[in-house]
Amino acid sequence: MIRQIKAELLKIRSTRTTVGLLLGMIALILLFTLLTGLLSSVLSLSTTENQRQFLSLADLAGVFSALAGVMLIASEYRYGTMRPTILFTPHRSRVLAAKVVAGVLAGIAFSVVGEVIGWGLGYAIISGRGIPFALSGGDSVQLLLGGVGSVALWGAIGVGLGAVLRNQVSAVITLLAWAFVVSPLLFGLVPSVGRFMPTYAGDGLIGLTTRHLLPAVAGGFVLVGWTALLAAAGIALTARRDVT
Amino acid sequence: MASVVVAESLTKRFGGVLAVDDLSFALEAGTITGFLGPNGAGKTTTLRMLVGLASPTSGRALVFERPYAELEQPALRIGAVLEATDFHPGRSGRDHLRMLATAVGVPDSRVTEVLTLVELQDAARRRVKGYSLGMRQRLGLAAALLGEPELLVLDEPANGLDPEGVRWLRDFLRSFASEGHTVLISSHVLAEVAQTVERVLIISRGRLVIESSLSDLTARVGGAIRVRSADPAKLQTALAAANLKTTASGDQVLFVHGATSERVGDVAFAAGVAVHELIAEGSSLEEIFLELTAHTEAES
Repeated sequence: MIRQIKAELLKIRSTRTTVGLLLGMIALILLFTLLTGLLSSVLSLSTTENQRQFLSLADLAGVFSALAGVMLIASEYRYGTMRPTILFTPHRSRVLAAKVVAGVLAGIAFSVVGEVIGWGLGYAIISGRGIPFALSGGDSVQLLLGGVGSVALWGAIGVGLGAVLRNQVSAVITLLAWAFVVSPLLFGLVPSVGRFMPTYAGDGLIGLTTRHLLPAVAGGFVLVGWTALLAAAGIALTARRDVT
Repeated sequence: MASVVVAESLTKRFGGVLAVDDLSFALEAGTITGFLGPNGAGKTTTLRMLVGLASPTSGRALVFERPYAELEQPALRIGAVLEATDFHPGRSGRDHLRMLATAVGVPDSRVTEVLTLVELQDAARRRVKGYSLGMRQRLGLAAALLGEPELLVLDEPANGLDPEGVRWLRDFLRSFASEGHTVLISSHVLAEVAQTVERVLIISRGRLVIESSLSDLTARVGGAIRVRSADPAKLQTALAAANLKTTASGDQVLFVHGATSERVGDVAFAAGVAVHELIAEGSSLEEIFLELTAHTEAES
């Protein structure tokens, strides 16, 4: 299993896909943090909740981590490398489990870069504009660790989704539509259900206090549940289906 | 000794289509077998079932007496290439091999070795998207060789190769088999593998049409080898001693029945007779092939 994980990490490092995703992520976090930080009024950026929202922009890394997870498996189907991969490790659940682990590890790397950039720039803007930092130490730790945890889990969610759908384009579209269209709609219309979507469970985990969100611990469990569900579905389907 | 590869009533159905129909055969160690049939005959599906990429609807496929997926570290005993194009275009050839080698614990030094073996050492660090089809074929073969296998399973390995590449592959496979290793290669063109393989399995519409040695197949339909030599009389004696039937045809030409050109050449060499011309007459092999496969199509 260690060998398979090493192989998956080598796959991630040996193409430009990951670097591209990482650069895209950095650009997006910088842009959103800069715009929000400079366009918000001093008054609005002074509240604890708004500072929390502002600094949580670093968690945009979750999208990119999930995309990296999708690529980890969908690109293998796209380019046919799934065939040699399975020839070398015919225990398919071992291959998939290694991909889930690699997805989580990639997610941690993405989130660390994202948090450093988001917090670095965010904190500079807050203090540069002479606004007192309103988050307690505990709040900050929850925001940071919750962010790293949820972004890491998104990597595994991406792997699971990619394994279920196999087609790269479908998986990417499904992922984006789920995170940015279906979940917000559901949360807006039926918040008691929408809050169980992984994006909103993650918001609960990092300590956002938007109405209807799950409490942190529950949010964390729901996010882990989604990850386990998709990873298990991906593993089960990959074990059963022919690789053509 | 147990067979290296065994198919037992192997059957695969896709929806209403029977792609492989009750196929049984066995391969012995140290042989090169051509797996032949027209496009769509079920060759690729059969090979995929052999190496565990697809599961049979019924029957079973065994390699080294067990289903591929149940072998521990099968890549260390079996090398397979199912598609010539299974590479990420943005990854270097060397990294492609390294990621596979890592999964089975094969060291980087072996990666360098196989790259040299297939003569790709100079292109190894370039991205695969810049590789020609011939280079991709060789990279695929390099991947199959990583684990120093005893059995090679290659699906249409000569597709897209130039004549030099075909010859390189032929020489490689012969030397591989001469070490006691086993080869199964598929092709939809008999002529492409006729100079490489010793045995043929011909399938059509998912069914086994014939399993035979190539020379038996040649003999069966009366295909002849035309040989022009410096001393036909001496050659005829030598061929007769090798149990080969000949007909003299004047002008120093002999027709040898039921033999491959390799066999005739070897006998002539051993007898010390200079050969001036050695030709498998007409396209007889190809005709057999078409006849055999057309026959079953008419039947079904």
